[in-house]
Amino acid sequence: MSVQSAAERGPRWWEADLVHDFLRSPVAHVAALLTFVSVALALGADFIAPYNSNDPASANVIDARLPPGAAGMLGDHYLLGTDPQGRDMLSAIIFGLRTSLMIGTSSVLLAAAIGITLGLVCGYFRGIFDAVIMRIADVQLSFPAILIALLIDGITRTVVDRGTHDRLAIPVLIVAIAASYWVQYARTVRGLVLVERTKEYVLAAKVTGVSTLRIIATHIQPNVMGPVLVIATINLALAILTEATLSFLGVGVPPTQPSLGSLVSIGNEFLFSGDWWISIFPGGMLVVLCLSVNLLGDWLRDALNPRLSDA
Amino acid sequence: MGTFIAQRIWQTLFVVLAAALVSFVLLRHVGDPVNNMVGQAASLAEREAMRHTLGLDQPVVLQFARFLRDVAAGDIGVSYRFGIPVARLLIERLPATLELSVCAMLLAALLGVPLGVWTALNRRSVISHVLLAASLIGVALPTFLIGIVLILIFSVWLGWLPAFGRGATVTIGQTWTTGLLTLSGLKALVLPSLTLGLFQMTLIMRLVRAEMLEVLRTDYIKFARARGLPNATINYDHALRNTLIPVITIVGLQFGNIFAFSIIVETVFQWPGLGLLVIQSIQFADVPLLASYLVLIALGFALINLAVDLLYAVIDPRVRADIAVPRAIS
Amino acid sequence: MPEPLLSVRNLRVEIATRRGMLVAVDNVSFDIARGEVLGVVGESGAGKSITGGAIIGLIEPPLRRAGGEIRFDGRRIDNLEPERTRALRGRHIGAVFQDPLTSLNPLMTVGRQLVQTIATHLDLSTRQAREQAARLLAEVGIPAPRERLDNYPHELSGGMRQRVVLALAFCCEPKLIIADEPTTALDVSVQAQVIELLRRMCRDHRTAVMLITHDMGVIAETADRIAVMYAGRLVEIGSARAVLGAPTHPYTRGLMASIPSIKRRSAELPQIEGNMPRLGAIPPGCAFHPRCACRLPRCAHQQPLLAPAGETQSACWLTAGHEDVPPAVRHA
Repeated sequence: MSVQSAAERGPRWWEADLVHDFLRSPVAHVAALLTFVSVALALGADFIAPYNSNDPASANVIDARLPPGAAGMLGDHYLLGTDPQGRDMLSAIIFGLRTSLMIGTSSVLLAAAIGITLGLVCGYFRGIFDAVIMRIADVQLSFPAILIALLIDGITRTVVDRGTHDRLAIPVLIVAIAASYWVQYARTVRGLVLVERTKEYVLAAKVTGVSTLRIIATHIQPNVMGPVLVIATINLALAILTEATLSFLGVGVPPTQPSLGSLVSIGNEFLFSGDWWISIFPGGMLVVLCLSVNLLGDWLRDALNPRLSDA
Repeated sequence: MGTFIAQRIWQTLFVVLAAALVSFVLLRHVGDPVNNMVGQAASLAEREAMRHTLGLDQPVVLQFARFLRDVAAGDIGVSYRFGIPVARLLIERLPATLELSVCAMLLAALLGVPLGVWTALNRRSVISHVLLAASLIGVALPTFLIGIVLILIFSVWLGWLPAFGRGATVTIGQTWTTGLLTLSGLKALVLPSLTLGLFQMTLIMRLVRAEMLEVLRTDYIKFARARGLPNATINYDHALRNTLIPVITIVGLQFGNIFAFSIIVETVFQWPGLGLLVIQSIQFADVPLLASYLVLIALGFALINLAVDLLYAVIDPRVRADIAVPRAIS
Repeated sequence: MPEPLLSVRNLRVEIATRRGMLVAVDNVSFDIARGEVLGVVGESGAGKSITGGAIIGLIEPPLRRAGGEIRFDGRRIDNLEPERTRALRGRHIGAVFQDPLTSLNPLMTVGRQLVQTIATHLDLSTRQAREQAARLLAEVGIPAPRERLDNYPHELSGGMRQRVVLALAFCCEPKLIIADEPTTALDVSVQAQVIELLRRMCRDHRTAVMLITHDMGVIAETADRIAVMYAGRLVEIGSARAVLGAPTHPYTRGLMASIPSIKRRSAELPQIEGNMPRLGAIPPGCAFHPRCACRLPRCAHQQPLLAPAGETQSACWLTAGHEDVPPAVRHA
């Protein structure tokens, strides 16, 4: 067996540019670590949090609004203080983190699913469907995402009565956020499809009778995943921020299942009484989460950008 | 150029009509409009009379036409919650939002553009890197949190600036109330404008920087260098001019963004503008108010986009010739 | 012999990449005499454009000039301060690039770009500069030159734009023009006109040209001398007649043989097997040796230097020892 040089056999995965970049970039390390920790906290909330936020019994009103590090009446320790109802801030933040991540991820997945599907269909089949969808996309892009999410959520609220709405709040929120972010996926995918579909190998596949679905799945879709991944990562940070903002405004998650944004809004009233921790700690967690996801997305985009790599 | 304008106007009309349609559907089919107007205890005769007054006994298309006519005339219903005509409410609150938005935009542009140019021309300096890092964080900071932190620092701990309301306002003409003419009004404007403008400023700075770096890489800049033009000419005459064109249009479009984010800032600072009104209308299911806001927003954004596109045509000679122009990188 | 206008000695340009330092231009030396047209040919990526850019100091990181001496009009120009180099550009050494549409600032009128360049280097009033600009446009064959001054680049055709670019390059009467692929982006019909224009301008202003291109047809018509580059190295240089008619380097011979000719009938178009190596994978010794049909054992270890061979100078061990060049070069 002869020994081939790297130039001859092609790079192995650990020699790939992406991995090479990752290992070289401390920013990517930190961002990935923070993201990982956040996800771990969220998934393991039930085990990691000192108190179960969802259990009303865990809140002692006597211990309301205690500063960080204080001890409660019954000997409980509150590392980050308590909120107006006596709930432990640390636990509330961990559970809130879970809610925020869950809603954020779901809406990104939904937006991606809608966007990719529409992008594939528009790009591959063209025609009037393409024209209409792209026109809608153009119009939608001229409105800020937060406004669209707000309006969808708000309109749903006014149409449905309060009881039903509380039950549906989170799904509606997910749909509203997804509806405001699908456009970029659709446009990017459509652009890529337009490029790929004119290439010879696709035309050859068509001529030899390969089914459309197979063409899309085997030829076009793999080229699409890279850019989509970059969009999704940056989108995740935006989705989390959007959800936090809507919840802060009172039109997001229901009171029974707080997210980081709604926790901040609870603390908003108490700023002037000096109980700053009720808003700042959840806010801080939110910033750390969004920042690490953002940095990861930025790094990913630079690393996958063909223009910046060597010729 | 003519086709360009015509196209944009069509698009504007289309968007506004679509919003009006949604609005119309909301108003007519959410709850029972008759009930809302006459209350539960009204007699059948009164209900019938109200139905007729509201025009509910007519075909849907005619109802929509009538709706459009009413809207154009300025009659957009009465607020469920406040009991006064929606149009009056909107006009009352508009100045507050506009003042806030314009201040924030000015702040963002006047700081963001020079910083962006500077960081593009001095790529390797330490300050550049610090600014860029800060701007990265700025993008991840939710607006409401910025507001809260500013309130904590400047209102609660330092006590320099007010955290709520507009301060004392002065009424000009019949409807315009301004906070710019009083000291307390100006003080009240500072924190909200800063909050609203900070995000935009980081955005503009990064955009200007990126655009300028792109432009500095082009062939015509290379050719300008090859002709021995001085650096100052290349940077501030050639490069800046080509950078600002897409930037100006983006900044114009961002005005819409500012308008949207003003909803958040108004909530944090209890600023009595349109944004606060909308949130309250959602919380209280005040359908006429919400529906009208929808149409207003659609109209506002469509007009902003139209104005920006026209501005683009004025500034860039290629657009006047109907040639496709590369827009700013997103 | 009079001193050459441009004298390049041992020019070396490196690129810093993620995987280390690569050499884009390796030990290149040549002269250009006053008023002469030197054609620099080679495949894409051979380092021709980088050489031209390095001469006028237009290369930017990650490219870096790492060695060599460049003399222009008797004085060294490679070690000047940036401001002195800038004063040189446009005034004494002009440049023309490939794509005339992207070479002109789309938001400035043609007249403004001309006047600005003239005013930078020459001490003329705006009105005088504008007169000069109109005269230049007329000289490059643009009809109604005064009206054209107020046109934007996109309002002119491709051929006219390249004429404007030429006018911009010649506006301060430089002694040397570096023309980097000036015809590649143009239609064939326009190419001939532009080349003819370039030749005429050079004759009239007695300007030397470093004509960088991969188009052999253009070179054959225009060049006085030809330099052949391969993988960042200069492999052959000589008079145009000699390089075209009796090349000695195997690569040049392969190039010339692969040009379709009306006179020669053949079933297949001859080509040189393999590809020019990428910068990161240049073989040791002679860069061409893996593809060379007449390689010697020495070629794989020692990099050959330019030495007289026949009527040209060639960087080849085969010819360096004055061994007889085989009558026919075998092709794959």
